Order: sequence, then C-alpha cells, then structure tokens
Amino acid sequence: MHAEPSKPKQFHALPSIITFVSIFVVLLLIAVLNAPTMGGPKVMNSITVFFQEVKATALPFLAVIAVGAAVIGLVAARMINKVWGNTRLRRETLTGFAFLAPYLLVTLTFTIGVVLFAFYISFHNYDIFTRPTWVGLANYAEAFKGFSDSTKRDFLQALYNVLWYSILVVPIQTFLAIQMAVLLNKPMKGKQIFRTIFYAPSVTSSVVITLIFVWLYLKGGYINALFNSIWGLFGAKWTTVNWLGDPRGLIQMIVEALGGKIPSTQWFFRGPSIAWMAIMVQNIFTTVPTFMIMFLAALQDINPALYEAASMEGASPREMHSKITLPMLKPIISLVVVLGTIGTLQVFDQVYLATKGGPLKTSLTPVFLIYQEALGINGPIHMGYASALAFILAVIIFIFTFIQRRGIEKGTERY
Amino acid sequence: MKRTLTVVSLILVLSMILAACATPAAAPTAAPGVEPTKAPAVEPTKAPAAEPTKPEPAAGTCPIEVEPNATITFSGWGDESEQAVYKATIERFKAVCPTVTVNYSPIPADFQTKLKAQMAGGTAPDVFYVDDQLMTAFAPTEQIMALDDFMAQAKVTREDFIPALMTIFTQNGKTYALPKDWGTLGLVYLPEVFKEVGIAEPTDKWTWEDVRTAAKKISEGGKYGGFCMGADWARFSPFATSYGNAFVSKDLKTATLDTPEVLAAAQFVADMFKEKSLVRAADVSASWCGEAIGKKLVGMTTEGGWMVNTMKTTFADVEWKALPIPSGPKNQSDIIFTNGIGVNASSKFPKASAAFVIYATGRDNQAEIVKTGFAYSTHPDQADLIVDPNDKAIAQGGLLPDTIVAYWGPNTGKINDAVSQALDRIFLGDQDVATAFKQAQAEAQTALDSK
Repeated sequence: MHAEPSKPKQFHALPSIITFVSIFVVLLLIAVLNAPTMGGPKVMNSITVFFQEVKATALPFLAVIAVGAAVIGLVAARMINKVWGNTRLRRETLTGFAFLAPYLLVTLTFTIGVVLFAFYISFHNYDIFTRPTWVGLANYAEAFKGFSDSTKRDFLQALYNVLWYSILVVPIQTFLAIQMAVLLNKPMKGKQIFRTIFYAPSVTSSVVITLIFVWLYLKGGYINALFNSIWGLFGAKWTTVNWLGDPRGLIQMIVEALGGKIPSTQWFFRGPSIAWMAIMVQNIFTTVPTFMIMFLAALQDINPALYEAASMEGASPREMHSKITLPMLKPIISLVVVLGTIGTLQVFDQVYLATKGGPLKTSLTPVFLIYQEALGINGPIHMGYASALAFILAVIIFIFTFIQRRGIEKGTERY
Repeated sequence: MKRTLTVVSLILVLSMILAACATPAAAPTAAPGVEPTKAPAVEPTKAPAAEPTKPEPAAGTCPIEVEPNATITFSGWGDESEQAVYKATIERFKAVCPTVTVNYSPIPADFQTKLKAQMAGGTAPDVFYVDDQLMTAFAPTEQIMALDDFMAQAKVTREDFIPALMTIFTQNGKTYALPKDWGTLGLVYLPEVFKEVGIAEPTDKWTWEDVRTAAKKISEGGKYGGFCMGADWARFSPFATSYGNAFVSKDLKTATLDTPEVLAAAQFVADMFKEKSLVRAADVSASWCGEAIGKKLVGMTTEGGWMVNTMKTTFADVEWKALPIPSGPKNQSDIIFTNGIGVNASSKFPKASAAFVIYATGRDNQAEIVKTGFAYSTHPDQADLIVDPNDKAIAQGGLLPDTIVAYWGPNTGKINDAVSQALDRIFLGDQDVATAFKQAQAEAQTALDSK
C-alpha cells in the first residue's frame, strides 16, 4: 500500500476573504453593542453620543476583541478554504453553520459579549451613569480586604457561608438521590405514580417552594408544631425556634452545650447558622428529585445479569449495592457532585426570598452580595466591584469542579 | 387501555410543564409581615382607605406654564389603595392643567431596580417616586432634575414643607424631589391591658422611664409582654435622638455610635430586654409588633400610621390607642420615613412633569389625600386635617423640632443595618452594649468613608 499522492493545496481567495471579513465585522459589531460605555438617557437615545462614548472609554476593549476576532476569522477562513474544493463537504459545512448561526449570534451578543463586558468592567469603577474609570486590580483586592479589616468582610463571610452550604448539601443530596433512585427502581405496584410524585418538587418553581417554606418555618408555623407534638410524645416541651431568624451557629451550639463559648471576633468558628441550615433542608428537598432521575436513568444501564451472578455467589443485598451498583454509578455520581457544587456555590433565590442575607449575615451568599453591589441596594451602584466578585466566584467554582472530576473519575470510563 | 394511559400521562406531563413555567407572579404572596420593619421605610402608610373623595373641580390654575400637548408617564409603587389615591390625583391635576396627559404605570414590585434599569437604558418615566436609594443612584449625576426654578415659578418654597422631609432630597442646596408623604412612630397601647394590670394609662407627657416602669409591671403578671420592640434601627432611633445624639454627625462625615448618648440609650434598651420588660415580636410568637398588639400579646409598642389600617382590617374588635412618641432625658424626638416624587432630567416635557410634581405635593392635593386617611400631608399646617384621632396623635411626633429622617448619605442602608445588627447581638447575649456598638461604629464609619 502506498499513500495517495496528496492533492495540491489550493487557495480559494474569494471565499476565504469573504469569510474572514464577514466574521471579523460581525464579531466587532457584537463588541460595539456590548461596549463598556456610560449608560443613561443621553447616551442611549442618541447614536452620535453613543459613538462618542465608545471612542472615549471602550477603545481598549474593542482593540482586544478585534485581535480575537481576527484570529477566529483566520481559523474560519482556513476551514472554508479546506472544504471549498469538495462540493459535498462545502455544502455540509455551510449548511451546518447556517443552522448554527442564529444560536451563535444570540449567544455571542447576549451571553459571551456580556461576560467579556463584565470582565473588562471588573477592572474599573462603574456606576452606570458616569464613565468607567480604570482601577486595575483594586476591585479584586477589595474583595479580600476582610482578612485585614473586619468591617469589610462581607465577601469572605459570604464565601464561608456558601462553602458550608456546599459541604453539607452536596453529599446529603447525592446520597439521598441514590437511595431514592434505588428504591424507586425496585419492582413494585405504583412505581410510576411514586416517581411522578417524588419528582414534583423539582418541577415546581423555586420561588413558590421558598415562600411556602418561609410560612412553614414561622415561629408559630407547622414545623414547630410538628416538633412540639413529637416532643410531647415523650412528655417534653419543645421550645419553638424562629428557624429563619436564628443566627446561632451549629458548632457554636455544640460548644455552648459543652459549656464553652466562641467569642464574636472568631465568628468563623461558629459554623452554619440555624437559619442557614433551614435553607439547606429546603434546597435539598427541591434538588434531590432532579438528581434522582439521573440516577434512575443510569441504573437502567446496569446489566441485571451482574446481580444474578452475585446472588449466586452468595452476596448480600448490601454487598451488591456497594460492590456493583455504586461503582457502576461512579460517572453519574461525579456528574451529580459537580452539578451540585456548581449549583450550591451559586445559591441566590432562597436567600433573596427568605432571609435577604439572613440573621446577622449568616445566610449571605456571594451571588446575593453581587446582586446588592451591582444594583446599589444598600449604597451606590458598584458594577465594577460586583463583576470582580463574579469572576472570583467563577474561578473558585472552576477549581472545585476540576479537583472533583479528577478525584471521583479516577480509573472510570468517561462518558 | 394503553391509549388512555398514554393520554392521561401526557396531560399530567403537560400540566407539570405549565406549572414549571408559571411566572413567579403566580406564587402565593409572602406570609404577612415577614419583614414588617422594613415596610415602613418603603411604604410609610398602607391604609386601604375609604373611597377617595371624588375630585372636586380644583380651585386654582396650573402651577406653572406647561408645554402644549404634553404627555408624561408617571410611575410609583404601591398596592391598590395607593394606586387609587394617585389615580384621583391625576384626575384633579387634569382639571387644573387640562392640556397635560398623564399616563400612570405603577410598578408594584422591585421598583428601584426597575427604575435604575430603565434609566440606564434611557426609557425611564418622566415622573417617578424618589426614595433615598434612587436619590443616591440618580442625583449625583443629575439624572433627576433640580426643581428650584420651577418651584420659584409656582411660588412654592422649601419652607412650605416639614423641614426634616427635605433633607433626603437636597443636594448642594438644590431640591431634587418634593416629599409626597411621610410616616412616623408613636406609642401604641392596649387600654384593657393597663386596666387589667391596674396601672394608669400612658399620657402624652410620658418618658421612656415611664414606659419601662409600666412595661415591667405588665410583664410581671406573666400574661402579657410589656413593651414590644425588635432589633430595629428605626425603632431605636427615637431612643438615641431623645438621649441626645443621632447615628451620624450633622456633617455626615463621622459615625456617632460610640458617643455616650447613644451608648446610654442602647444600655437602656438592653436593660429593658434583660429584665424582660422589653420583648421582641418573635418572643411572643408574632411576626411583627403590630400583630403582637392586635393579638393582645403585649401592652405597648412603637408603630406608625399603618396601624390604623392594620387594626381596622385584621383586628377590628381590639380597642387600641396611640400617643405621640415618649420623650427622653434630653428631648422628645421621633424618626420620619418619607418618599418624594421627582422629574426625569431627560424628560421631553420637563415643565409639564414639574407641574405635576408641584401639584401632587401641593396643599390642595395633599389635603385631599389626608382626607382619605392614606397618608399625612407634607405641609406642617395641614396636620390637623388628619381624620383618625390615633393617627393624629402618632403624627405629632413628626412635627417635633428634633425629629430627624434617618438619612446619612449614599450608604445609609449599611449604617442602619450596622445598628440593627448591634441590637441583635445584644439581644442574643453575644456581646455587651459597649462591644456591640464599638463594632457598629467601625462598620458605620467604613460605610461613611467608602464611595
């Protein structure tokens, strides 16, 4: 066998140049639409004023995007050049991109363009109604000033809260999801009905569920009443707890029960507060069904012959669960843990509706802080600072999920 | 059989999808009074009044000369009763300035956020409510218009209004919005509790010490709580000011939370809590102190004009009385919550917009609004138009010379939160008064120093 003589590389000038220019222009246009300029009626209602502002503040942004656009244009031109000679390939490629184009344009304009805008703004001070002013890494430094100045520790406290949230919620919800999936996989009457009912919390709007739980968690609400009747069975009285208003931390209560005390200057030793844990319970209730469905689907893929062989060898149900089911589920467990981490580190809905940062900032989360700073809820608008916080959070999430995927998926096949 | 099962499952799935896509507006309204103490700052009065009086042909002409064929949009927050009040205002305005068309588009939720977004995008209404958050967002860059020239044309001066109300809306000596209404706190109590415990009812000469003595006597009986108060900066402010100092210095540069006066006021409150003459709403299983009064769980509390409506609608058979805020060692002073109406600086019809603002906050319109029981007039000479006697008593606090609006500049929210959290820590037993307020002082000073 000898290699085919390679076809001479042809350069199709017109298609390549058209591709390059059109992609470059479109990307630059999207960049201009997302240009970091002052906002407000004077700028938004007049194209000339808008372009003045672009010239004044957005040129470095456009320059960087232009470089990126040129690179993408070149890559696209090369690709078009390669397939142009072959009519079939050419048609396939063009059709493919024609179908992708609407989605790509919308995503580039409203998601990726905005993310790049936010990244650029994170190095500026920006309050929408004045021009963004360059401050370099000052916003990023400000986020961590809490280490030296305890009056500026909002972001650190938010990170602390959300890390506890992740550490407690992700394992619990993964474990419960596996258990429920295994349970609902067993042959029984009404399996489908139960699967539908169990899945209902994930389908219901999280706003609705949060508001219902706020009502349940009231000091005179049903949860306290339930505990009261249970305690009453043993003849004891249950002191009603103001679930969503109690800032005492988990570790703090354990220490105090043992007779110690954690001073308020060492707030970071106190653990998640009762209010925060109440929100965790509510979130676990809402998210377990979604992951349960994923595990149910994965369980269908496990060959029943494995279980038959194991039972013939004399394995107990528990051994079958831990030696067959769980290892076969490892890729899905990895997926669920990663998704769970990403979700828990970004918790916002429940905080906004139920506690608004909570008793003494014990349910403050990074996303809620970003919301407050970006929209100027408690002070002036700090868009630049909020963007910096958002990117710090993104990096943290990325690092966590990277470590998790490496750790859990060691030695398993990747889907 | 299989077919029907498929159809039923499809219907089930469809209904679940519909449920999932339901807009949040379909959510049940939040448990009443989940954050009652925040409510006053945003909506000072909440009376679903008796029907607003039919607008009589207004005496008077248009406050200023307006553009011909002007059409303006007006936005505010508020429930149906507030919307009814402002619809009536627009009708009266139309009689006075017939060439101006006013389109009312109320924004019931997330008003400040929506308005900032609209302003950033250049589509904000011509006239809208302005509170301290919007003043901070819009005034420094003059997105709202200074109204002094138009006020001069209409022969309206800043002195026409209650002085404390103008502080929020003033920047560099210029007026950026005119106050539309206000609320304040008064001493609210249940006469039957006092009768049952056998002590004399409060009078308008009472001091905080008298309140403490009475509360102690009431709570000793074990049946009622004495004085209800939450860990709330707004409820604490009258204590602080009547002891001689506010949260921040007059030049808005230094926090004054570690001054002897404020510490003395805090110690007073802390002592009341420790001896159990002061209880929080949660301690008596109520969601806010107004509910504690309505459910007859406590003898006294400090609440505002919104109690008139709450008691009328939810606790109609409970007899209650109100008096002006008690006095402290240094003076008798209260806290005022207020909001104003301002004009978009990019409005295409600035004169018409200013005319509407001046009319809505002017004596004629304010008198009509007071008669509906919805809010107090922003003109001090109209205080006796208030209909309900309890409401009238509460309103007296707003006219006292040392009464303040708790506004400390752009970071007001953070400073007030620092005070609330300090009180929270004291009530929890986590810190003593000195430590708690030292921390609050540091936090407030950081907030004042930041841009």
